[in-house]
Order: sequence, then structure tokens, then C-alpha cells
Amino acid sequence: MASKVQEIIGAASAIAKGMSVTLGEMLSPTITEGYPDEPVRFEQRYRGLHVLERDENGLEKCVACFLCAAACPSNCIYIEAAENTAQQRISAGERYAAVYNIDYNRCIFCGYCVEACPTDAITHGHGFELASYDTASLVYRKERLLAPRP
Amino acid sequence: MPELVKLTIDGKEIEVPAGTLVINAARQVGIEIPAFCYYEGLALQAACRMCLVEVEKAPKLLTACTLPVAKDMIVRTETPQVAAARKGMLEFLLANHPLDCPVCDKGGECELQDMTFRYGAGESRFSEEKQHIEEQQWSPVVFFDRPRCILCFRCVRICNEGMGVAALGVINRGARSEIAPNKGDHLECDECGMCIDICPVGALTSGIYRYKTRPWEMEYAGTICTHCADGCKTTLSVRNGRVIRGNNRDHSGINGEFLCVKGRYAFDFLEHPERLHQPLVRRGVELQHASWKEAVALVAAKFNEVRERGGAFGVIGSARTTNEENFYLQKFARSWLNTNNIDHRRSGDVVALLDALAGLPGSLATTADVYHAGAVLIVGADLAQQHPLLSFQVRANVRHHGARVYVVHPHPQREDKVAAQVVRARGLAGIGQIREKLAGEQSLVVLFGEHIQGADVRRLVEMLPATARYVALVDYANSRGALDMGLLPDLLPGYQPAPAPGLSLQEMVGASLDVLWVVGANPLQGRARASGFLVVQELFLTETARQADVVFPAAAAYEKTGSFTNVCGEVQRLKKGPAVAGPKTDLEIMGLLARQMGHELAPPLPEAVFEEIRRSVAGYNIPYATFVTGAASATQYPNGPIARQGSSELIRSARDTLFTSGTLGRYCSVLNSVRERDLVRVEE
Ligand code: SF4
Ligand code: SF4
Ligand code: SF4
Ligand code: SF4
Ligand code: SF4
Ligand code: FES
Repeated sequence: MASKVQEIIGAASAIAKGMSVTLGEMLSPTITEGYPDEPVRFEQRYRGLHVLERDENGLEKCVACFLCAAACPSNCIYIEAAENTAQQRISAGERYAAVYNIDYNRCIFCGYCVEACPTDAITHGHGFELASYDTASLVYRKERLLAPRP
Repeated sequence: MPELVKLTIDGKEIEVPAGTLVINAARQVGIEIPAFCYYEGLALQAACRMCLVEVEKAPKLLTACTLPVAKDMIVRTETPQVAAARKGMLEFLLANHPLDCPVCDKGGECELQDMTFRYGAGESRFSEEKQHIEEQQWSPVVFFDRPRCILCFRCVRICNEGMGVAALGVINRGARSEIAPNKGDHLECDECGMCIDICPVGALTSGIYRYKTRPWEMEYAGTICTHCADGCKTTLSVRNGRVIRGNNRDHSGINGEFLCVKGRYAFDFLEHPERLHQPLVRRGVELQHASWKEAVALVAAKFNEVRERGGAFGVIGSARTTNEENFYLQKFARSWLNTNNIDHRRSGDVVALLDALAGLPGSLATTADVYHAGAVLIVGADLAQQHPLLSFQVRANVRHHGARVYVVHPHPQREDKVAAQVVRARGLAGIGQIREKLAGEQSLVVLFGEHIQGADVRRLVEMLPATARYVALVDYANSRGALDMGLLPDLLPGYQPAPAPGLSLQEMVGASLDVLWVVGANPLQGRARASGFLVVQELFLTETARQADVVFPAAAAYEKTGSFTNVCGEVQRLKKGPAVAGPKTDLEIMGLLARQMGHELAPPLPEAVFEEIRRSVAGYNIPYATFVTGAASATQYPNGPIARQGSSELIRSARDTLFTSGTLGRYCSVLNSVRERDLVRVEE
């Protein structure tokens, strides 16, 4: 008989313990994000869609040194360089990137390009909604990557 | 043979000839001593102090680049003291060197970058502002960025010693020294770009390659220059199907580091807006675009019709198409069109020379011979303008081996400066004046141009010692190959006599032939066509192409594989650089015509035709391995009398200068941009 009572008490306490965890979690703040109903929260160093930065004067920071392309392990950065002239100044250095493409079919978001860049021109932004039905549209041109003018 | 000296470098014992510099001795045992100002072949400078090494019993560090080896010398290159010295020297060099690598065109192949990476400090101790000086443009191709210059004086030496131009100099002394061009703010020079290539840093950069790309972004094709007959190897850097630059950084080929303005920069004709990309067919009075199919069918039908009724064909070949194409063309003409009316524009009397050398085997000089010979005789050619590489070889020979140079020309030449004797006279008459001197030359190389031709060539050979070796100077990249391949009315490939000699070029352009077929030449410049039907294969609408009934757009030499034979009779391989859409190689065009005409010639593949040449043309049985690895192989000549038929014609060189290149040169905007000053002329 005594063993039966003990069994019931044991079961009840186990349930109480389990429920206390459940109820405790129910009352604590949620971690799950409400995307797409709510905006996503990012850690500072999240590596998303690249941004080609501008300097304080609105000039492009990229000087088309090709170091990001050299560092890229999936070979997805394509650049064509050109020279700034007095009439048309695009970047602060002597040269600028006339063409700058990143192929997001291949980019693995490793961040090596960002690390390689001597002018801090390329950074990882927090953009991540890249899915597309058309792979051709995944080659982003400079115009899509550039930060807006200040 | 100088005596051998034994020394020890970093514990490795080595024996080298006396007089060897420590820096080179170290290289032989695989020890790299860093150096900026030392450059093999140029005068010693000891300006950069990068090569300091420790020598036992010497109180201070010594410069390995000026230190000859000595018996039982003990050299150490990796001691803490040496490392500190290298680090210190680099710190000095970088004191005012801008942090320009991301924009600097040298980035990625810069010796200063490499050295700093290997031997330099990780951080700079300078906090001062760097002094900025604006970049200067010295010529269409040469840019100078003074703060980047490390004052190694390589550029000054290559321009002075190597090129014989001396357009660059040093002004001021000590810390104020700077490199300056000969005309104050600009250069008037050969525009060879040698100074740019030799500069270890990005102080001298090229206007053509400027800010275009990076060395690791390009593909490289080592091919042969399409301009003059010297046959320099030029490595084309190709990105996205476009040639971005030409150079010979790996120093391979017969030319080592040398390239003149044409081999280095004159490739832009490939992208000239007037380049033909589609066949043209004359409809009514106008040339109109047509498809390949239509144009080929039209020409094949015409050829067949004329062939069947036994009409007269004339075929004019080119001095810029490959050996394979020339061989195929003459075979096409002789075996299928049944004509010996085949010729090309001749620019030097090679045939007379080979005839005169019958019984004197091994009497053709190679490019290397021009560098090694004890004496060089230059007759009737402006070598510096027309044969830049040979001219460079002559100067190097004088510098390194003290060769005696004899110049025979009625007008002043650059070679006068290094000559032991100059004779201001023409041809044989001039040589007569120094005959005794030349008779004493046991190792003589003779370079002769158009002043000596016809019967004079034999007289020349008879006048000079039997050990002399010769080069008959010709104009274009494959002028020599065109002769060897039998683009001649009276001679078959390998200089075998043709059964019935045909018409020469001069006769063909005046004759009323049924068909004139011009492959890569411009014979109707300044004259109207006389033939019934004119077919032209060309890159551009030249004066000849404009008069044609059908024009086929042809690929340039940089766009095909094959082989060229240079002025010294050395065969070298062409490697295809960029691919081109639209034009076809001359070989492909001929193959299409043959097939359409229902005639299976040999397959129009360069490799197959080359095999046939190797098998059937006398002197061309060169080692295949040498050929495919891109080295030059000297061909043999018949070594027997050559039976010429018909009168020998007056041969005239086109007298191209450094900045012209026949019809092709007109489409090279780089050449034209530097030519504007019109400084140069080649005197008759
Ligand atoms: S983004 Fe940075 S690393 Fe890439 S080319 Fe531009 S400057 Fe160079
Ligand atoms: S010269 Fe070399 S070290 Fe100097 S900026 Fe150019 S690449 Fe950098
Ligand atoms: S381009 Fe050639 S000729 Fe002109 S300065 Fe440079 S080395 Fe001298
Ligand atoms: S320009 Fe270049 S080659 Fe000439 S001294 Fe300066 S660093 Fe040397
Ligand atoms: S010397 Fe002749 S072959 Fe050599 S680069 Fe100049 S033009 Fe070309
Ligand atoms: S390499 Fe010896 S001092 Fe420059």
C-alpha cells in the first residue's frame, strides 16, 4: 500500500517539476522571431548582402584594387577598373570600379572580401532576402550594391 | 676558361669562375640575396644597399652585387645583422613611399611589395606626413610617379646602355636626386617601355595598361610579335578576350627582356573600329556584307570556272601570315589552281644569300650569334629603326664582350656610337674601304640590308672571311618564312626550282589576270586593279581590299596558332591570344574554299600542315619538342646553288621606322600617337 502512495506522490512531483519548466518558459520573453510578420533582428556582425560604402563626401570608397576578388574563394567578384578624371570623379583615389559585380549564385558569405579590402569599401550589410526564381538576377551589379548617397 | 674559385655561402661550398659576383654565386646554390639596383647585364650601381651580406674578416657588411668572389671567402646571408640591415634599408625606402598599393599598377608584381613582405618590418615608425608629388605623364606610354621611385637607376641604365637612347637621367644629388626625362617635362625617345618593365616599383608605369586590371586577373599567351622580322617573343595578357598588355617578363625567347614599342604596345589594331568582321561581296558598285557561306560559294564557283577553262590566276601572299598558311597557299595555287603566278612583297635578298652560301654550311647567324660574335658588320640598314632587337643585341655584345662594330651606311646611324669604324658610303664600295680590317675578323657576323642585293651578295661573301656568318635583313614578321615556303614565282618550298616560273608581284598587279587572289597584302596601294576578279583576305579595308570583288575578314597573327620564321631563319611558335568572333584565320578560309571547290587539300589545321612542312621542306626538320615548348629552332638552308629563273628584281625594303609597321601600323593608334612628332625617318 505504502508503495502505491509513494508512486503517486512521485508521479505528481515529476509532473509539477515538468510543468514548472513549461510554465516558467511560457512567462519568459520569446526568442522566436515573427519573420515575415515582424522585422528580423541581426547581430552586429551578421554577414549579409554586401554594401559598397561611400565616404563622407559621397564618393565611392572602392578604388578597384581587385584584392577582394583575389581573396574570394568562390571567385564570384568581377571588377573592371577605370581612371578618375577631373570632370568625372567617382572615388577618392586615382581609380575606381567602373564595373563591380558579385555573383550571389556563388557567394558563400565568408567575409574574406571584407577582410581584404584596404579601403573598407566593401562591408557585409544585413540584407538576406536574396531568393530568386531566376539565377541571372543573382548577379548584382555595382548600382545595386552601393550605399545610398549621404 | 677563367680559373675556378672556391667559397662558402651560408655553409654551402661552391666553385665558380673568378670574377663572378657573390650575388650570382649565391643564386647558383639557390640562395636568394635581395636586390633592387642590381640587374644582370647592366652596369653595377650599388645604390640600394639591399644586398648587404656578412663576409668573414670584413669589418662591415658588403654589397653582394659588386663583390667579386675571392678564394676561401666565407659569406653569410642570413645572420641577425644582415636581417637588421635589410629591414633598415626597407624602412629608408619606405620613408616617403606612398601607401599606394591598392591603386598602383605595379601591385601584385612589385619587387618592393615582395621584399617588404619578406624582409621588412610589419609597421612603420614614421608618423610624419608623406610628401606628395603629382604624377607626371612623360609620353603617351610613360607615366612617372616620383614618390614611388626608389632610385635604383635601372631605368637610366637600360635606356642608356640597353637602348642606346639615354633619354632618362638623374638630376640633383643625394636625397634630392630624381629621375628626369630628356626634354624637361616629357620624353622624346624610342617609347620602348623597357624602363617601365624594368622598374622594380610602380614609379614608371605604362599608359596602355594604366588602371585596367591586375596581373592575377589575366591570362597569358606567349606568342611572337607580328611586326618586324626579328621575331621577339611577346607575352600577351588577355582579359575577357581583349589584349591588355604585351611584355616579356619571364625573359624567355630569343629577346630576353627586350621588346620595342611595337611588340609591347602595338596590339590595339585588333580592336580597331574599322576591323572587318564579316565577309564583303561586291553587289553592283558597292561592297556589301554577306554571309560566309555566300562569299565562299561565290569565290569557289569563280575559281572553279576559271580553273576549268584554263584561265590565268595570280596569287599574292603575305609576309605576316604563318608558315603553315603560306605553305598551304602555294600548294593550293600550284597543285589546284595550276599556276606558278605566286609571289609576295620581297624586302631582302635572302635567295641570293643562300645561293652564295652554297658549300659554306652553318653560315647563317642566329639572334644569339649577333650577341656573341667578336665583330659585327652592319651594311645598308638602319638597325635601330628597322631591327630593334638586332640593334639591342649588337649593343649588348659591345657592352659585355667588347665586340667591334663596323657600320657602312651613307647616313648617320645609332650604331655609330658603339662602332669601331664607321664608313659613310653605300654597299660594297663602303666595305671595300675596310676590307683589310674585316679580313682579320675571325668571328664576324654580317647584317646587310637592301643596299646589297643581286650579284652584290655573292661578291660580299667572296670579299669576307669564309668564317663569316650572315643575316639578310627583311622587313616583316614572316618575310623569311614566306621565302622558305615558296611564295615565289620560280621557287618551290625549300628553294627547289619550279618547273615553269610564273609572274612576279610587279607583273601580276599590272597583268589582266582572270583572278587575282591577295592574302594579307596590300599590293594595289596607289594603283588600280587590272585583274578581272579580285579576292582579298584582310583585317581592314585597305586600298587593295576596297577594290576587291570579295573580301574575307582575316584573323591577325595574335589570334592564331602556327609558326613564324624570323630574319635569322629561326622558327618559333605562335600561340593564340584572344579569340575573335567573325574573322577566320587565313588557313581556315583557304580550307573552306578548297572544300567548297571539291578539292581535299590537306586538312587546314596548323599542326597537320606544320607536320607536312617538317617532312617536306628542306631545312625545316626541326625538333618538335623545341618547337612546342616555344623555343626558337634554327632552320638549315639548302647548301647548294639555287637556280633562279628570270631576271632578279629590284628589292626594296618598306623602310619602316620604330613607329610604323606597313599597312598594319596605320591601325595601331599607339604607334600613331607617339609618331605625331615625326622624329624618325629611315634614310635610303
Ligand atoms: S571593394 Fe575594396 S578590395 Fe574590393 S576592389 Fe574595391 S577597394 Fe579593392
Ligand atoms: S610601387 Fe609597389 S610598394 Fe609602392 S605603391 Fe606600388 S605596388 Fe605598392
Ligand atoms: S621608353 Fe625606352 S627609350 Fe624611352 S625612356 Fe624608357 S627605356 Fe628609354
Ligand atoms: S623610376 Fe623605377 S627604375 Fe627608375 S630609378 Fe626609380 S625605381 Fe628605379
Ligand atoms: S624588335 Fe621587331 S619583333 Fe621585336 S618587338 Fe620590335 S617589332 Fe616586334
Ligand atoms: S643590389 Fe646591391 S646595392 Fe642594390
